Amino acid sequence: MPDELTPVPGEARAGTESGLVGAQIEPNHSVPPVAGAPKPHPILVVDELTRSFGGLRAVDVDHLEVERGVVTALIGPNGAGKTTLFNLLTGFDRADTGRWSFDGQPVSSPSPDQLARQGMIRTFQLTKSLAKLTVLDNVLLGAPGQAGERLSAAPFRSRWRDQEEANVELADELLDRFNLAHMRDELAGTLSGGQRKLLEVARALMADPVMIMLDEPMAGVNPALAQSLMRHITQLAFEGLTVVFIEHAMDVVTGISDWVVVLAQGRVIAEGPPWKVIHDHQVIDAYLGRRRAGGGS
Amino acid sequence: MDFDIIFGNAARAAFGPEAVILALAAIGLNVHFGFTGLLNFGQVGFLLLGAYGTSVSVATFGWSLWVGILVGLVLSVALAVALGFPTLRLHAVMFAIVTIAAAEIIRILIGSTDAIGLTGGPLSVSFDAGAFYDLNPYPDGPHDRYGVGTFEFTGQQMWVITVGWVLVALVSLVVFLIVRSPWGRVLKSIREDEDAARSLGKNVFSYKMQALIIGGVIGGLGGVIDAIKTSGADPNGFRPQVTFFAYTALLLGGAATYMGPVLGAILFWFLREWIESFLRQLTAEAWLPDAVADFLSGSEGVISVAMVGLTLVLLMLFRPQGITGNRIEMQLDAR
Ligand SMILES: Nc1ncnc2c1ncn2[C@@H]1O[C@H](COP(=O)(O)OP(=O)(O)OP(=O)(O)O)[C@@H](O)[C@H]1O
Ligand SMILES: [Mg+2]
Repeated sequence: MPDELTPVPGEARAGTESGLVGAQIEPNHSVPPVAGAPKPHPILVVDELTRSFGGLRAVDVDHLEVERGVVTALIGPNGAGKTTLFNLLTGFDRADTGRWSFDGQPVSSPSPDQLARQGMIRTFQLTKSLAKLTVLDNVLLGAPGQAGERLSAAPFRSRWRDQEEANVELADELLDRFNLAHMRDELAGTLSGGQRKLLEVARALMADPVMIMLDEPMAGVNPALAQSLMRHITQLAFEGLTVVFIEHAMDVVTGISDWVVVLAQGRVIAEGPPWKVIHDHQVIDAYLGRRRAGGGS
Repeated sequence: MDFDIIFGNAARAAFGPEAVILALAAIGLNVHFGFTGLLNFGQVGFLLLGAYGTSVSVATFGWSLWVGILVGLVLSVALAVALGFPTLRLHAVMFAIVTIAAAEIIRILIGSTDAIGLTGGPLSVSFDAGAFYDLNPYPDGPHDRYGVGTFEFTGQQMWVITVGWVLVALVSLVVFLIVRSPWGRVLKSIREDEDAARSLGKNVFSYKMQALIIGGVIGGLGGVIDAIKTSGADPNGFRPQVTFFAYTALLLGGAATYMGPVLGAILFWFLREWIESFLRQLTAEAWLPDAVADFLSGSEGVISVAMVGLTLVLLMLFRPQGITGNRIEMQLDAR
């Protein structure tokens, strides 16, 4: 275990404030491809995080850092604990032990809405579209800082109309990009499974995230559209957004991720640039369900 | 059989003070259940506190009626906060159980003999609502009547229902204004999926609490009107069925619509009174077999409530969205 590489949390903050973060970082050249490797500008630092269900240890992460402004893929076999890890980090589930910091702030009492307001926005593997709201309203709900969401301002349209109009413009752009423009005024409950996935990603992007965590965002989406959307997401990463996504399709992983973290039986068993990780025999073993044979890449 | 009388009675109930009270109860419930998805089965508790707050303030403490009304509404807010704090974070079913239990506990406490000195206990409490009727602009002599046939009100009743329906209109307008806003969008998103709302940064607990208070105060207003109408309050007037009548009205009219609860309350009382009057007339008919007439006579009220229930069942089967609701929205529930 690379315990000696564990950075002090202060490093994260230094990265936050160094200005031109993101664009010039190429972790695949500067970071050793070992599990728990420290990153130059981590936005997320996780330590000793565990979560058990009965006797099953679903998540058991000693140390993990996510680099700011890059696209990180989280991969691993079914039941590896990927979704559970997302749930813990975003406050939707309670960890048994562990601590983590986001954007330089230690997360002491994780509450989903507060973390979301700090810019940590996640989507769900089982989509949560708001069936009886229109597709447009679904996306508008994501908009942060809408004054009209306060009861004191709600009855007075003039207090929130301009903001709403600007949001509608943004939402329409997103819907257009996600091939949902024609469904704009339909109820979200009428969408197909793939369309709901798209809607959820659009809604998450509307929230203006600092870090977006996508749980199998393109499952069920037609491959051509998925490709174009993932290209859009890499573009956003280039502009400073941090992306973490869970994905099973290796071509998508190698196609758009800068860095890959491999989870198996709750533990981070490998990480590194995609071209390196997918040939790691430990990873291959984990995917094929063989017990870990020891040894590294 | 005189259908003028039957329709007159039905119209009288549909526009009378009872319909106003039911409409307010249902509008409050619409904020809870229709827009936010809160399963409040204790709406009658808010009416009770509105009515008793008003009555006890005037009758027991000798305060002015206007202070009494304020007390009734403040008590409604207090009930919402007391109910919401421990339960709104729990599962929806927990909330439902606690609300129905809390409302019934309050009713039993208020109606207990130990409370006679404060609330009148099992005896009803009565007070002088003169401060309200002093403002009555309708001439109210012993021979002043407004309306035609059995659709007829006294001057005092006219004043109560005028104020009542204006209040219903104002409250409906306020609900419309706040719910069509981004704030209302958050409420509906909580109804659809709390976790989705959370994942987008909405403080679900806070919004639920706001909705609970607003809907509770609207129910409390219904209680205030009830107290003024009867110049008092009686624990038997606040049994759990009041909540279920409000649900019936809401579902008849269409939940999560703006006019639904009002139309539903009017329709509820129209149907209920129409059926009851019809049965009364029927039992008086000479050609009816004695056995049937005996069965009907005296139970017209009960049967009419049962018939309203049957209407609700039929409505759920053939028009589940209510009168004003949107069919497509309802079908989404089945997916
Ligand atoms: N609420 C829960 N109660 C009990 N066990 C759970 C719960 N949530 C997850 N688990 C278990 O924890 C393990 C990890 O599940 P998780 O959903 O995190 O896997 P995953 O990596 O997201 O898998 P997939 O790729 O199939 O989505 C599984 O064995 C699962 O059965
Ligand atoms: Mg999963």
